[in-house]
Amino acid sequence: MISPVKIWRHQKKVNQLLGKTGKIVSFTLIRVAPVEFKQQVPYPVVVVRIEDGRGVVGQLVDWEKKNLKLGQKVKTVYRKIREPESEGIIPYGIKFKPC
Amino acid sequence: MQIAVLSGATTKFGELWEQSPRSLAQEVVSQAIEQAGIEKKETQALFVGNMLAGILGGQENIGAFFADELGLEVPAVRIEGACASGGLAVHQAVLSLLTGKYQTVLILGIEKMTDYKPEEVAQALMAAGSDEERKAGLTFPGLYALMAQAHMEKYGTTEEEMAAVAVKNHFHACLNEKAQFKKEITIDDVLKSAKVADPLKLLDCSPISDGATAIILSSKFKVQSSRDKPVFIAASAVATDTLALADREDLISLKATKKAARKAYQMAGLGPEDIDLAEVHDCFTIAEIMAMEDLGFFEKGKAGQAILKGETKIGGKGPIINSSGGLKAGGHPVGATGVKQIVEVFNQLSGQAGKRQVKGAKIGLAHNVAGSGALAVVHILSNL
Repeated sequence: MISPVKIWRHQKKVNQLLGKTGKIVSFTLIRVAPVEFKQQVPYPVVVVRIEDGRGVVGQLVDWEKKNLKLGQKVKTVYRKIREPESEGIIPYGIKFKPC
Repeated sequence: MQIAVLSGATTKFGELWEQSPRSLAQEVVSQAIEQAGIEKKETQALFVGNMLAGILGGQENIGAFFADELGLEVPAVRIEGACASGGLAVHQAVLSLLTGKYQTVLILGIEKMTDYKPEEVAQALMAAGSDEERKAGLTFPGLYALMAQAHMEKYGTTEEEMAAVAVKNHFHACLNEKAQFKKEITIDDVLKSAKVADPLKLLDCSPISDGATAIILSSKFKVQSSRDKPVFIAASAVATDTLALADREDLISLKATKKAARKAYQMAGLGPEDIDLAEVHDCFTIAEIMAMEDLGFFEKGKAGQAILKGETKIGGKGPIINSSGGLKAGGHPVGATGVKQIVEVFNQLSGQAGKRQVKGAKIGLAHNVAGSGALAVVHILSNL
């Protein structure tokens, strides 16, 4: 279980990454996932260099195979991260979408 | 002050379901003490390298736990630095000797992983990553896959070159009684194995293992007989980098490795060209390729080809890499790995490596990495 307080604290940081665009600098397709992500396989995880130069890691959503390439333009979107555990809170966070 | 490795012992690595952490520790420590030709009570402190006893086994207070089990009423401390816990424990032990407070210390690297489900182990290992990486659903194969993809893009590194690392290390493991996988494989076997995190496949990955390793270091050694070649610690260095992979300037090398190596070479007054053999942190095949370059053995982008050509295989022009089978085929009980690397280099430099002996080896290096490169430990050993 993740502390609800930690989830709440994290939500405040998410704002800073909304509405950003950037380019994929590396990607992988996860086929063997951690327990709480098992239902989602296979899913791509990308490292993105956003406009201000920061590197951000996240899942790529609404993707096609042709999007899995270095230099692909993406934007940040706000999505559910995983199913809730016993804490009953659905964690939301940043993912990427091709654009 | 000169610090000598008096002895080194390791259990077999693998699925050791009949053994407990206590029995593994007893086995290696009694062997190490006997080999060193000292009394147990001569050891003045115990350093334990371990990552997962708390998160998987629910047992903390590991320093005291093993001191009690081993019947040692000495200062005991557990050192945690993810997969570099073992290397870090050796580093701290070296520092303790350099203070002059202790003259002879025992280091135990130990991990019990196969008592738990693989997905539980995978999740526990991700404790070494960052919060953002866990939220992205990343795994350790995933993190190294991100580095592999970037390395392939920049240098044209191929999946065959990565596979060649696994093939070589399995070949070496066949010469090592203590290795987890004593089975030769081919490049084709690696390429056809199940995909884990593209481009990495199952046979690009080190396994989940149980195992323990112990060494005894001393600053007041005596050469036992003319047959014995004392082996000294010529350098012990640690460096850190960002915890999260995405925070780094690039994904094609590990800055912590480069920094720790630079410090270690400086301490020893040596360079990469002086190294006869090395045990490097091949948690994934791409990691060995990057280590070859970051430790200065090959130019950036050139290691893959050299490995494919067999230059780093026993009998090759060298440096000989992972003669023990490495993490890939030797096994990777995370807290034990960094200590086992020192044992392999010690065995090679003291001429006790048997069928896998690298002839005329004088200087060896051990390279242990935590997480996706947040920390690296480099040791240089010498018999000169």
